[in-house]
Amino acid sequence: MSDRLRLNQAAKILLGVWMAGIIVAMFLVVPQYVGLGDAGRIIILHVPTAWITTVAFAVSAVYSIRYLWKRRIADDAGAVAAAEAGFLFCVLATTSGMWFANIVWGTPWNWDPRETTILILLLIYAAYFALRSALDDVERRRRLSAVYNLFAAVTMPFLLFVAPRMAESTLHPNCAFIQGSHCDGIWLEMNGTRVGQLGDVVLALQGIEQHGDLAVVQVEVRMPGLRDVALLTPSFELSSGKPADRPEFPGQQFLLAVEEVDLTNGRALLNMEAPGTGLLSNSRTFWTFMASNIGFLGLFIWLYRLRADVLLLQERLARREVTYGLPA
Amino acid sequence: MDPHVSSQSISETSAPATLPAAPLLTAAWAVFRKDLRSELRTRYALNAILLFAVSTVVAISLGMGPLTVSRNADLPLIQAALLWVAILFAAFTGLSRAFVQEEEARTAAALRLSARPTAIFLGKLLFNLALLLILVGLTTVLFIVMLRVQVGNPGLLAALLLAGSMGLVAATTLVAAIIARASVKGALFAVLSFPLLVPLLTAAIQGSANALVGRGWESSIGSLQVLAGYTIALFTASLFLFNMVWES
Repeated sequence: MSDRLRLNQAAKILLGVWMAGIIVAMFLVVPQYVGLGDAGRIIILHVPTAWITTVAFAVSAVYSIRYLWKRRIADDAGAVAAAEAGFLFCVLATTSGMWFANIVWGTPWNWDPRETTILILLLIYAAYFALRSALDDVERRRRLSAVYNLFAAVTMPFLLFVAPRMAESTLHPNCAFIQGSHCDGIWLEMNGTRVGQLGDVVLALQGIEQHGDLAVVQVEVRMPGLRDVALLTPSFELSSGKPADRPEFPGQQFLLAVEEVDLTNGRALLNMEAPGTGLLSNSRTFWTFMASNIGFLGLFIWLYRLRADVLLLQERLARREVTYGLPA
Repeated sequence: MDPHVSSQSISETSAPATLPAAPLLTAAWAVFRKDLRSELRTRYALNAILLFAVSTVVAISLGMGPLTVSRNADLPLIQAALLWVAILFAAFTGLSRAFVQEEEARTAAALRLSARPTAIFLGKLLFNLALLLILVGLTTVLFIVMLRVQVGNPGLLAALLLAGSMGLVAATTLVAAIIARASVKGALFAVLSFPLLVPLLTAAIQGSANALVGRGWESSIGSLQVLAGYTIALFTASLFLFNMVWES
Protein backbone atom coordinates (compact mmCIF):
# COMPACT_ATOMS: atom_id res chain seq x y z
CA MET A 1 0.00 0.00 0.00
CA SER A 2 2.73 2.44 0.92
CA ASP A 3 4.66 1.41 -2.19
CA ARG A 4 1.66 2.27 -4.31
CA LEU A 5 1.29 5.58 -2.53
CA ARG A 6 4.93 6.40 -3.13
CA LEU A 7 4.57 5.46 -6.80
CA ASN A 8 1.53 7.69 -7.08
CA GLN A 9 3.42 10.53 -5.44
CA ALA A 10 6.32 10.09 -7.87
CA ALA A 11 3.97 9.99 -10.87
CA LYS A 12 2.29 13.17 -9.69
CA ILE A 13 5.57 15.02 -9.37
CA LEU A 14 6.72 13.70 -12.74
CA LEU A 15 3.49 14.93 -14.31
CA GLY A 16 3.96 18.39 -12.80
CA VAL A 17 7.53 18.64 -14.08
CA TRP A 18 6.48 17.28 -17.47
CA MET A 19 3.69 19.87 -17.89
CA ALA A 20 5.96 22.70 -16.72
CA GLY A 21 8.53 21.52 -19.27
CA ILE A 22 5.93 21.62 -22.02
CA ILE A 23 4.92 25.16 -21.16
CA VAL A 24 8.55 26.25 -21.24
CA ALA A 25 9.15 24.36 -24.48
CA MET A 26 6.08 25.94 -25.98
CA PHE A 27 7.76 29.34 -25.84
CA LEU A 28 11.45 28.46 -26.07
CA VAL A 29 11.75 25.33 -28.20
CA VAL A 30 8.93 25.73 -30.69
CA PRO A 31 10.01 28.07 -33.47
CA GLN A 32 7.88 31.06 -34.32
CA TYR A 33 5.38 30.12 -36.97
CA VAL A 34 5.78 32.26 -40.08
CA GLY A 35 2.63 34.25 -40.68
CA LEU A 36 0.90 33.36 -37.43
CA GLY A 37 3.53 34.77 -35.12
CA ASP A 38 3.31 33.78 -31.49
CA ALA A 39 -0.37 32.85 -31.91
CA GLY A 40 0.74 29.65 -33.65
CA ARG A 41 2.19 28.33 -30.40
CA ILE A 42 -1.33 27.66 -29.18
CA ILE A 43 -1.30 24.36 -31.07
CA ILE A 44 0.68 22.91 -28.15
CA LEU A 45 -2.21 23.60 -25.76
CA HIS A 46 -5.31 23.78 -27.88
CA VAL A 47 -5.12 20.59 -29.93
CA PRO A 48 -4.28 18.23 -27.03
CA THR A 49 -7.11 19.64 -24.88
CA ALA A 50 -9.52 19.12 -27.78
CA TRP A 51 -8.26 15.55 -28.17
CA ILE A 52 -8.63 14.83 -24.48
CA THR A 53 -12.22 16.07 -24.65
CA THR A 54 -13.02 13.32 -27.13
CA VAL A 55 -11.06 10.74 -25.14
CA ALA A 56 -12.94 11.75 -21.99
CA PHE A 57 -16.26 11.36 -23.72
CA ALA A 58 -15.29 7.86 -24.88
CA VAL A 59 -14.01 6.89 -21.40
CA SER A 60 -17.22 8.16 -19.84
CA ALA A 61 -19.30 6.13 -22.31
CA VAL A 62 -17.29 2.97 -21.59
CA TYR A 63 -17.82 3.42 -17.83
CA SER A 64 -21.54 3.94 -18.48
CA ILE A 65 -21.71 0.65 -20.39
CA ARG A 66 -19.90 -1.08 -17.55
CA TYR A 67 -22.25 0.46 -15.02
CA LEU A 68 -25.34 -0.72 -16.87
CA TRP A 69 -23.73 -4.15 -17.20
CA LYS A 70 -22.52 -4.71 -13.66
CA ARG A 71 -24.25 -1.97 -11.61
CA ARG A 72 -21.15 -1.16 -9.62
CA ILE A 73 -20.99 2.25 -7.99
CA ALA A 74 -17.32 2.59 -8.91
CA ASP A 75 -18.19 2.52 -12.61
CA ASP A 76 -20.75 5.28 -12.18
CA ALA A 77 -18.20 7.37 -10.29
CA GLY A 78 -15.75 6.79 -13.16
CA ALA A 79 -18.30 7.91 -15.73
CA VAL A 80 -19.12 11.11 -13.83
CA ALA A 81 -15.49 11.90 -13.11
CA ALA A 82 -14.47 11.39 -16.76
CA ALA A 83 -17.36 13.57 -17.90
CA GLU A 84 -16.43 16.31 -15.43
CA ALA A 85 -12.77 16.27 -16.44
CA GLY A 86 -13.84 16.17 -20.09
CA PHE A 87 -16.10 19.16 -19.55
CA LEU A 88 -13.17 21.09 -18.11
CA PHE A 89 -10.98 20.25 -21.10
CA CYS A 90 -13.86 21.01 -23.45
CA VAL A 91 -14.20 24.52 -22.01
CA LEU A 92 -10.42 25.01 -22.25
CA ALA A 93 -10.31 23.84 -25.88
CA THR A 94 -13.27 26.02 -26.84
CA THR A 95 -12.04 29.21 -25.20
CA SER A 96 -8.43 28.81 -26.35
CA GLY A 97 -9.67 28.10 -29.86
CA MET A 98 -11.94 31.14 -29.87
CA TRP A 99 -9.12 33.31 -28.65
CA PHE A 100 -6.83 32.06 -31.40
CA ALA A 101 -9.54 32.38 -34.05
CA ASN A 102 -10.22 35.95 -33.03
CA ILE A 103 -6.55 36.85 -33.50
CA VAL A 104 -5.87 34.94 -36.69
CA TRP A 105 -9.17 34.58 -38.53
CA GLY A 106 -10.74 37.81 -37.32
CA THR A 107 -13.76 36.13 -35.76
CA PRO A 108 -14.15 34.06 -32.61
CA TRP A 109 -16.95 31.92 -34.03
CA ASN A 110 -17.52 30.75 -37.59
CA TRP A 111 -19.60 27.54 -37.34
CA ASP A 112 -16.62 25.66 -38.54
CA PRO A 113 -17.26 21.86 -38.29
CA ARG A 114 -14.99 21.39 -35.31
CA GLU A 115 -16.42 24.39 -33.53
CA THR A 116 -19.89 22.96 -34.05
CA THR A 117 -18.90 19.51 -32.83
CA ILE A 118 -17.21 20.77 -29.69
CA LEU A 119 -20.11 23.08 -28.87
CA ILE A 120 -22.55 20.17 -29.09
CA LEU A 121 -20.22 18.09 -26.93
CA LEU A 122 -20.28 20.92 -24.39
CA LEU A 123 -24.09 20.93 -24.48
CA ILE A 124 -24.26 17.15 -24.05
CA TYR A 125 -21.98 17.28 -21.00
CA ALA A 126 -24.07 20.11 -19.56
CA ALA A 127 -27.29 18.17 -20.19
CA TYR A 128 -25.75 15.11 -18.51
CA PHE A 129 -24.98 17.11 -15.36
CA ALA A 130 -28.42 18.76 -15.45
CA LEU A 131 -30.05 15.33 -15.62
CA ARG A 132 -28.03 14.06 -12.68
CA SER A 133 -28.96 17.02 -10.53
CA ALA A 134 -32.65 16.63 -11.39
CA LEU A 135 -32.98 13.01 -10.24
CA ASP A 136 -33.34 12.55 -6.49
CA ASP A 137 -33.21 8.79 -6.21
CA VAL A 138 -29.54 7.77 -6.25
CA GLU A 139 -29.91 4.46 -8.04
CA ARG A 140 -32.19 5.95 -10.68
CA ARG A 141 -29.85 8.89 -11.17
CA ARG A 142 -26.96 6.54 -11.93
CA ARG A 143 -28.96 4.32 -14.25
CA LEU A 144 -30.70 7.05 -16.25
CA SER A 145 -27.65 9.25 -16.65
CA ALA A 146 -25.68 6.24 -17.92
CA VAL A 147 -28.44 5.57 -20.46
CA TYR A 148 -28.41 9.20 -21.59
CA ASN A 149 -24.63 9.16 -21.88
CA LEU A 150 -24.76 6.16 -24.20
CA PHE A 151 -27.68 7.54 -26.18
CA ALA A 152 -25.77 10.77 -26.77
CA ALA A 153 -22.72 8.78 -27.87
CA VAL A 154 -24.86 7.16 -30.58
CA THR A 155 -25.58 10.56 -32.16
CA MET A 156 -21.93 11.65 -32.29
CA PRO A 157 -21.01 9.87 -35.56
CA PHE A 158 -23.87 11.66 -37.31
CA LEU A 159 -22.69 14.97 -35.97
CA LEU A 160 -19.21 14.30 -37.30
CA PHE A 161 -20.76 13.51 -40.65
CA VAL A 162 -23.20 16.41 -40.79
CA ALA A 163 -21.12 19.21 -39.27
CA PRO A 164 -18.78 19.65 -42.26
CA ARG A 165 -21.80 20.43 -44.42
CA MET A 166 -23.15 23.12 -42.15
CA ALA A 167 -20.75 25.86 -43.06
CA GLU A 168 -19.32 25.99 -46.53
CA SER A 169 -16.06 27.23 -45.14
CA THR A 170 -13.67 25.46 -42.92
CA LEU A 171 -11.03 27.60 -41.34
CA HIS A 172 -9.64 24.74 -39.37
CA PRO A 173 -6.16 23.35 -39.82
CA ASN A 174 -6.85 20.02 -41.47
CA CYS A 175 -7.64 21.72 -44.75
CA ALA A 176 -6.36 25.24 -44.97
CA PHE A 177 -3.70 25.24 -42.32
CA ILE A 178 -1.05 22.77 -43.25
CA GLN A 179 0.55 23.44 -46.56
CA GLY A 180 0.36 20.50 -48.88
CA SER A 181 -2.89 19.20 -47.46
CA HIS A 182 -5.74 20.33 -49.63
CA CYS A 183 -9.10 21.87 -49.46
CA ASP A 184 -10.92 21.03 -52.66
CA GLY A 185 -10.35 24.47 -54.16
CA ILE A 186 -12.42 25.84 -57.04
CA TRP A 187 -12.00 25.96 -60.77
CA LEU A 188 -12.72 29.34 -62.34
CA GLU A 189 -12.90 29.84 -66.10
CA MET A 190 -12.50 32.92 -68.28
CA ASN A 191 -15.26 31.67 -70.59
CA GLY A 192 -17.47 30.10 -67.95
CA THR A 193 -18.01 30.57 -64.23
CA ARG A 194 -15.73 33.44 -63.38
CA VAL A 195 -17.00 34.05 -59.88
CA GLY A 196 -16.82 31.51 -57.09
CA GLN A 197 -16.59 31.10 -53.36
CA LEU A 198 -13.69 29.77 -51.38
CA GLY A 199 -14.76 29.51 -47.79
CA ASP A 200 -16.67 32.71 -47.23
CA VAL A 201 -14.44 34.66 -49.56
CA VAL A 202 -15.78 35.54 -53.00
CA LEU A 203 -13.28 35.20 -55.84
CA ALA A 204 -13.73 36.70 -59.29
CA LEU A 205 -11.34 35.70 -62.06
CA GLN A 206 -10.14 38.76 -63.97
CA GLY A 207 -7.50 37.34 -66.26
CA ILE A 208 -4.83 34.74 -66.87
CA GLU A 209 -1.53 35.78 -68.45
CA GLN A 210 1.62 33.91 -69.32
CA HIS A 211 4.96 35.52 -68.48
CA GLY A 212 7.62 33.07 -69.60
CA ASP A 213 7.44 30.10 -67.30
CA LEU A 214 4.93 31.77 -64.99
CA ALA A 215 1.18 31.86 -65.39
CA VAL A 216 -0.09 34.90 -63.54
CA VAL A 217 -3.73 34.81 -62.51
CA GLN A 218 -5.56 37.99 -61.60
CA VAL A 219 -8.25 37.45 -59.02
CA GLU A 220 -10.53 39.99 -57.41
CA VAL A 221 -11.06 38.98 -53.80
CA ARG A 222 -14.01 40.11 -51.73
CA MET A 223 -13.83 39.37 -48.03
CA PRO A 224 -17.00 38.50 -46.08
CA GLY A 225 -19.26 41.48 -45.44
CA LEU A 226 -17.43 43.36 -48.19
CA ARG A 227 -14.94 44.58 -45.60
CA ASP A 228 -12.13 44.46 -48.13
CA VAL A 229 -11.90 44.14 -51.87
CA ALA A 230 -8.49 43.52 -53.39
CA LEU A 231 -6.92 42.42 -56.63
CA LEU A 232 -4.50 39.56 -55.97
CA THR A 233 -2.12 38.06 -58.51
CA PRO A 234 -1.06 34.57 -57.52
CA SER A 235 1.14 32.78 -60.02
CA PHE A 236 1.91 29.26 -61.11
CA GLU A 237 5.18 27.79 -62.34
CA LEU A 238 4.42 25.90 -65.51
CA SER A 239 7.61 23.82 -65.71
CA SER A 240 7.44 22.40 -62.20
CA GLY A 241 3.64 22.43 -61.98
CA LYS A 242 3.68 24.10 -58.57
CA PRO A 243 2.27 27.34 -57.18
CA ALA A 244 4.85 30.13 -57.25
CA ASP A 245 3.68 33.39 -55.71
CA ARG A 246 1.02 33.13 -52.97
CA PRO A 247 -0.43 36.51 -52.00
CA GLU A 248 -2.17 36.98 -48.67
CA PHE A 249 -5.91 37.60 -48.32
CA PRO A 250 -6.52 41.15 -47.07
CA GLY A 251 -6.85 41.22 -43.30
CA GLN A 252 -6.30 37.47 -42.91
CA GLN A 253 -3.27 35.32 -42.63
CA PHE A 254 -4.27 32.91 -45.36
CA LEU A 255 -2.70 32.67 -48.76
CA LEU A 256 -4.29 32.39 -52.16
CA ALA A 257 -2.58 29.82 -54.37
CA VAL A 258 -3.05 28.66 -57.94
CA GLU A 259 -2.79 24.90 -57.92
CA GLU A 260 -3.40 24.17 -61.58
CA VAL A 261 -3.68 26.22 -64.74
CA ASP A 262 -5.20 25.31 -68.07
CA LEU A 263 -3.94 28.11 -70.34
CA THR A 264 -5.60 26.96 -73.55
CA ASN A 265 -9.11 27.02 -72.04
CA GLY A 266 -8.42 29.87 -69.62
CA ARG A 267 -9.08 27.88 -66.44
CA ALA A 268 -7.37 27.98 -63.07
CA LEU A 269 -7.78 25.96 -59.86
CA LEU A 270 -7.63 28.36 -56.91
CA ASN A 271 -7.23 27.33 -53.31
CA MET A 272 -6.66 28.64 -49.82
CA GLU A 273 -3.48 27.80 -47.98
CA ALA A 274 -1.89 28.47 -44.66
CA PRO A 275 1.22 30.62 -44.60
CA GLY A 276 4.73 29.35 -44.13
CA THR A 277 5.84 25.78 -43.70
CA GLY A 278 3.63 23.12 -42.16
CA LEU A 279 3.43 23.58 -38.45
CA LEU A 280 3.97 19.98 -37.47
CA SER A 281 6.52 19.20 -40.18
CA ASN A 282 8.96 21.03 -37.95
CA SER A 283 10.41 18.27 -35.78
CA ARG A 284 10.86 20.45 -32.67
CA THR A 285 7.23 21.53 -32.83
CA PHE A 286 6.14 17.97 -33.55
CA TRP A 287 7.88 16.45 -30.53
CA THR A 288 6.73 19.20 -28.20
CA PHE A 289 3.23 18.63 -29.52
CA MET A 290 3.42 14.88 -28.91
CA ALA A 291 4.88 15.43 -25.44
CA SER A 292 2.02 17.81 -24.74
CA ASN A 293 -0.51 15.19 -25.83
CA ILE A 294 1.02 12.67 -23.43
CA GLY A 295 1.17 15.25 -20.65
CA PHE A 296 -2.48 16.23 -21.05
CA LEU A 297 -3.52 12.59 -21.20
CA GLY A 298 -1.68 12.01 -17.91
CA LEU A 299 -3.30 15.10 -16.45
CA PHE A 300 -6.73 13.88 -17.51
CA ILE A 301 -6.20 10.40 -16.06
CA TRP A 302 -4.93 11.86 -12.79
CA LEU A 303 -7.85 14.33 -12.58
CA TYR A 304 -10.60 11.84 -13.25
CA ARG A 305 -9.17 9.10 -11.02
CA LEU A 306 -8.89 11.61 -8.20
CA ARG A 307 -12.43 12.84 -8.75
CA ALA A 308 -13.74 9.26 -8.94
CA ASP A 309 -12.05 8.47 -5.61
CA VAL A 310 -13.61 11.55 -4.04
CA LEU A 311 -17.04 10.57 -5.33
CA LEU A 312 -16.68 7.04 -3.96
CA LEU A 313 -15.56 8.40 -0.61
CA GLN A 314 -18.59 10.70 -0.47
CA GLU A 315 -20.79 7.74 -1.25
CA ARG A 316 -19.22 5.69 1.54
CA LEU A 317 -19.63 8.53 4.04
CA ALA A 318 -23.26 8.98 3.06
CA ARG A 319 -23.84 5.26 3.56
CA ARG A 320 -22.17 5.23 6.92
CA GLU A 321 -24.34 8.13 7.97
CA VAL A 322 -27.43 6.15 7.00
CA THR A 323 -26.23 3.03 8.81
CA TYR A 324 -24.92 4.51 12.06
CA GLY A 325 -26.73 7.81 12.11
CA LEU A 326 -23.46 9.69 12.60
CA PRO A 327 -23.19 13.28 11.47
CA ALA A 328 -21.15 13.56 8.27
CA MET B 1 -29.89 -17.86 -14.23
CA ASP B 2 -30.64 -20.64 -11.85
CA PRO B 3 -30.42 -23.93 -13.79
CA HIS B 4 -32.98 -25.64 -11.53
CA VAL B 5 -35.72 -23.30 -12.55
CA SER B 6 -37.28 -24.10 -15.89
CA SER B 7 -38.23 -21.31 -18.24
CA GLN B 8 -41.89 -22.06 -17.81
CA SER B 9 -41.88 -21.56 -14.09
CA ILE B 10 -40.06 -18.23 -14.50
CA SER B 11 -42.82 -16.90 -16.65
CA GLU B 12 -45.35 -18.02 -14.09
CA THR B 13 -43.64 -16.68 -11.01
CA SER B 14 -41.94 -13.46 -12.08
CA ALA B 15 -44.71 -12.01 -14.21
CA PRO B 16 -48.46 -12.35 -14.69
CA ALA B 17 -49.40 -15.33 -16.81
CA THR B 18 -51.03 -13.16 -19.45
CA LEU B 19 -47.78 -11.41 -20.30
CA PRO B 20 -46.10 -13.73 -22.80
CA ALA B 21 -49.39 -14.54 -24.46
CA ALA B 22 -49.76 -11.29 -26.37
CA PRO B 23 -47.39 -10.94 -29.32
CA LEU B 24 -45.14 -7.90 -29.24
CA LEU B 25 -46.82 -5.89 -31.97
CA THR B 26 -50.32 -6.60 -30.67
CA ALA B 27 -49.27 -5.37 -27.25
CA ALA B 28 -47.62 -2.29 -28.76
CA TRP B 29 -50.77 -1.55 -30.73
CA ALA B 30 -52.82 -1.89 -27.54
CA VAL B 31 -50.57 0.61 -25.75
CA PHE B 32 -50.90 2.98 -28.70
CA ARG B 33 -54.71 2.69 -28.67
CA LYS B 34 -54.81 3.21 -24.93
CA ASP B 35 -52.71 6.37 -25.24
CA LEU B 36 -54.80 7.60 -28.14
CA ARG B 37 -58.02 7.05 -26.23
CA SER B 38 -56.84 8.78 -23.08
CA GLU B 39 -55.48 11.63 -25.19
CA LEU B 40 -58.77 12.05 -27.01
CA ARG B 41 -60.54 12.26 -23.65
CA THR B 42 -58.47 15.15 -22.37
CA ARG B 43 -56.83 16.43 -25.56
CA TYR B 44 -54.17 17.92 -23.30
CA ALA B 45 -51.12 17.30 -25.48
CA LEU B 46 -52.97 17.90 -28.72
CA ASN B 47 -54.33 21.27 -27.61
CA ALA B 48 -51.06 22.43 -26.10
CA ILE B 49 -48.90 21.35 -29.01
CA LEU B 50 -51.19 22.71 -31.74
CA LEU B 51 -51.82 26.05 -30.07
CA PHE B 52 -48.12 26.38 -29.43
CA ALA B 53 -47.44 25.72 -33.11
CA VAL B 54 -50.05 28.27 -34.17
CA SER B 55 -48.59 30.91 -31.84
CA THR B 56 -45.09 30.29 -33.13
CA VAL B 57 -46.08 30.55 -36.77
CA VAL B 58 -48.12 33.69 -36.13
CA ALA B 59 -45.21 35.23 -34.20
CA ILE B 60 -42.79 34.42 -37.01
CA SER B 61 -45.12 35.72 -39.68
CA LEU B 62 -45.63 38.94 -37.71
CA GLY B 63 -41.91 39.45 -37.77
CA MET B 64 -41.24 38.24 -41.29
CA GLY B 65 -44.42 39.47 -42.96
CA PRO B 66 -43.00 42.50 -44.74
CA LEU B 67 -40.15 40.47 -46.22
CA THR B 68 -40.86 39.98 -49.88
CA VAL B 69 -39.70 36.95 -51.75
CA SER B 70 -37.48 38.70 -54.26
CA ARG B 71 -35.44 40.70 -51.75
CA ASN B 72 -33.31 37.99 -50.27
CA ALA B 73 -31.48 35.15 -52.00
CA ASP B 74 -31.17 33.19 -48.77
CA LEU B 75 -34.91 33.33 -48.05
CA PRO B 76 -35.59 29.59 -48.64
CA LEU B 77 -32.90 28.64 -46.14
CA ILE B 78 -34.24 31.15 -43.60
CA GLN B 79 -37.78 29.87 -44.06
CA ALA B 80 -36.67 26.23 -43.80
CA ALA B 81 -34.77 27.02 -40.60
CA LEU B 82 -37.76 28.86 -39.09
CA LEU B 83 -40.14 26.05 -40.03
CA TRP B 84 -37.97 23.47 -38.31
CA VAL B 85 -37.43 25.66 -35.25
CA ALA B 86 -41.21 26.05 -34.94
CA ILE B 87 -41.69 22.28 -35.25
CA LEU B 88 -38.88 21.59 -32.78
CA PHE B 89 -40.22 23.86 -30.07
CA ALA B 90 -43.77 22.62 -30.41
CA ALA B 91 -42.41 19.07 -30.20
CA PHE B 92 -40.54 19.95 -27.01
CA THR B 93 -43.80 21.03 -25.38
CA GLY B 94 -45.80 17.93 -26.25
CA LEU B 95 -43.69 14.84 -26.88
CA SER B 96 -42.66 14.25 -23.27
CA ARG B 97 -46.33 13.92 -22.35
CA ALA B 98 -46.58 10.21 -23.19
CA PHE B 99 -44.37 9.18 -20.28
CA VAL B 100 -44.80 12.14 -17.92
CA GLN B 101 -48.54 11.57 -17.83
CA GLU B 102 -48.05 7.95 -16.70
CA GLU B 103 -46.00 9.16 -13.74
CA GLU B 104 -48.34 12.02 -12.86
CA ALA B 105 -51.45 9.86 -13.01
CA ARG B 106 -49.55 7.12 -11.14
CA THR B 107 -50.42 4.58 -13.79
CA ALA B 108 -46.82 3.65 -14.62
CA ALA B 109 -46.83 0.68 -12.25
CA ALA B 110 -49.99 -0.70 -13.78
CA LEU B 111 -48.50 -0.30 -17.24
CA ARG B 112 -45.36 -2.11 -16.09
CA LEU B 113 -47.43 -5.07 -15.03
CA SER B 114 -49.53 -5.26 -18.13
CA ALA B 115 -47.05 -5.17 -20.99
CA ARG B 116 -43.47 -5.88 -21.90
CA PRO B 117 -41.09 -2.87 -21.91
CA THR B 118 -40.44 -3.13 -25.65
CA ALA B 119 -44.15 -3.15 -26.38
CA ILE B 120 -44.65 -0.09 -24.20
CA PHE B 121 -41.81 1.71 -25.94
CA LEU B 122 -43.14 0.89 -29.40
CA GLY B 123 -46.65 1.96 -28.45
CA LYS B 124 -45.47 5.28 -27.04
CA LEU B 125 -43.23 5.81 -30.06
CA LEU B 126 -46.16 5.25 -32.39
CA PHE B 127 -48.33 7.64 -30.38
CA ASN B 128 -45.64 10.32 -30.41
CA LEU B 129 -45.21 9.85 -34.16
CA ALA B 130 -48.93 10.30 -34.75
CA LEU B 131 -48.96 13.42 -32.58
CA LEU B 132 -45.92 14.84 -34.32
CA LEU B 133 -47.24 14.16 -37.81
CA ILE B 134 -50.42 16.09 -37.00
CA LEU B 135 -48.28 18.91 -35.63
CA VAL B 136 -45.92 18.94 -38.62
CA GLY B 137 -48.81 18.91 -41.07
CA LEU B 138 -50.57 21.82 -39.39
CA THR B 139 -47.38 23.87 -38.90
CA THR B 140 -46.31 23.41 -42.51
CA VAL B 141 -49.67 24.37 -43.97
CA LEU B 142 -49.89 27.44 -41.71
CA PHE B 143 -46.34 28.35 -42.59
CA ILE B 144 -46.93 28.12 -46.32
CA VAL B 145 -50.12 30.18 -46.10
CA MET B 146 -49.10 32.84 -43.60
CA LEU B 147 -45.55 33.43 -44.76
CA ARG B 148 -46.37 33.10 -48.45
CA VAL B 149 -43.75 30.39 -48.82
CA GLN B 150 -43.28 29.10 -52.34
CA VAL B 151 -42.65 25.38 -52.38
CA GLY B 152 -40.71 24.36 -55.48
CA ASN B 153 -40.75 20.62 -54.86
CA PRO B 154 -43.69 19.61 -52.60
CA GLY B 155 -42.97 15.87 -52.82
CA LEU B 156 -39.42 16.31 -51.59
CA LEU B 157 -40.55 18.62 -48.79
CA ALA B 158 -43.12 16.05 -47.65
CA ALA B 159 -40.51 13.28 -47.70
CA LEU B 160 -38.11 15.38 -45.65
CA LEU B 161 -40.79 16.35 -43.15
CA LEU B 162 -41.75 12.68 -42.75
CA ALA B 163 -38.15 11.50 -42.38
CA GLY B 164 -37.39 14.36 -39.99
CA SER B 165 -40.45 13.57 -37.86
CA MET B 166 -39.45 9.93 -37.60
CA GLY B 167 -35.95 10.89 -36.51
CA LEU B 168 -37.31 13.43 -34.03
CA VAL B 169 -39.57 10.82 -32.46
CA ALA B 170 -36.82 8.17 -32.41
CA ALA B 171 -34.57 10.56 -30.49
CA THR B 172 -37.07 12.09 -28.07
CA THR B 173 -39.17 9.11 -26.95
CA LEU B 174 -36.34 7.60 -24.91
CA VAL B 175 -35.48 11.03 -23.49
CA ALA B 176 -39.13 11.45 -22.47
CA ALA B 177 -38.92 8.18 -20.59
CA ILE B 178 -35.70 9.30 -18.93
CA ILE B 179 -37.07 12.63 -17.68
CA ALA B 180 -40.47 11.29 -16.61
CA ARG B 181 -39.34 10.96 -13.00
CA ALA B 182 -36.99 13.95 -12.81
CA SER B 183 -37.87 17.13 -10.99
CA VAL B 184 -37.94 19.84 -13.68
CA LYS B 185 -39.42 17.83 -16.51
CA GLY B 186 -40.34 20.35 -19.19
CA ALA B 187 -37.07 22.27 -19.30
CA LEU B 188 -35.02 19.12 -18.87
CA PHE B 189 -36.71 17.48 -21.84
CA ALA B 190 -35.61 20.30 -24.14
CA VAL B 191 -32.14 20.49 -22.62
CA LEU B 192 -31.50 16.77 -23.01
CA SER B 193 -33.04 16.47 -26.46
CA PHE B 194 -31.51 19.43 -28.21
CA PRO B 195 -27.86 18.28 -28.42
CA LEU B 196 -29.03 14.94 -29.77
CA LEU B 197 -31.15 16.60 -32.44
CA VAL B 198 -28.48 18.83 -33.96
CA PRO B 199 -27.48 16.40 -36.76
CA LEU B 200 -31.12 15.82 -37.60
CA LEU B 201 -31.95 19.54 -37.66
CA THR B 202 -29.00 20.37 -39.87
CA ALA B 203 -29.82 17.72 -42.44
CA ALA B 204 -33.55 18.50 -42.37
CA ILE B 205 -33.10 22.27 -42.72
CA GLN B 206 -30.68 21.97 -45.63
CA GLY B 207 -32.86 19.43 -47.40
CA SER B 208 -36.01 21.50 -46.84
CA ALA B 209 -34.31 24.60 -48.21
CA ASN B 210 -33.50 22.63 -51.37
CA ALA B 211 -37.12 21.54 -51.59
CA LEU B 212 -38.39 25.12 -51.17
CA VAL B 213 -36.09 26.35 -53.93
CA GLY B 214 -37.43 23.61 -56.16
CA ARG B 215 -34.34 21.52 -56.70
CA GLY B 216 -34.78 17.89 -57.68
CA TRP B 217 -34.63 14.80 -55.48
CA GLU B 218 -30.95 14.23 -56.20
CA SER B 219 -30.12 17.48 -54.35
CA SER B 220 -31.38 16.13 -51.04
CA ILE B 221 -30.55 12.42 -51.23
CA GLY B 222 -27.70 13.09 -48.79
CA SER B 223 -30.06 14.71 -46.28
CA LEU B 224 -32.57 11.88 -46.60
CA GLN B 225 -29.84 9.31 -46.07
CA VAL B 226 -28.59 11.08 -42.95
CA LEU B 227 -32.15 11.28 -41.60
CA ALA B 228 -32.82 7.61 -42.33
CA GLY B 229 -29.52 6.46 -40.81
CA TYR B 230 -30.07 8.66 -37.76
CA THR B 231 -33.58 7.30 -37.25
CA ILE B 232 -32.46 3.68 -37.54
CA ALA B 233 -29.46 4.13 -35.24
CA LEU B 234 -31.39 5.94 -32.51
CA PHE B 235 -34.38 3.62 -32.77
CA THR B 236 -32.11 0.57 -32.34
CA ALA B 237 -30.24 2.18 -29.44
CA SER B 238 -33.58 3.08 -27.80
CA LEU B 239 -34.77 -0.53 -28.03
CA PHE B 240 -31.63 -1.67 -26.25
CA LEU B 241 -31.64 1.05 -23.61
CA PHE B 242 -35.36 1.33 -22.86
CA ASN B 243 -35.42 -1.77 -20.65
CA MET B 244 -32.96 -0.09 -18.31
CA VAL B 245 -34.92 3.15 -18.23
CA TRP B 246 -38.17 1.37 -17.53
CA GLU B 247 -36.92 -0.69 -14.55
CA SER B 248 -38.83 0.32 -11.46
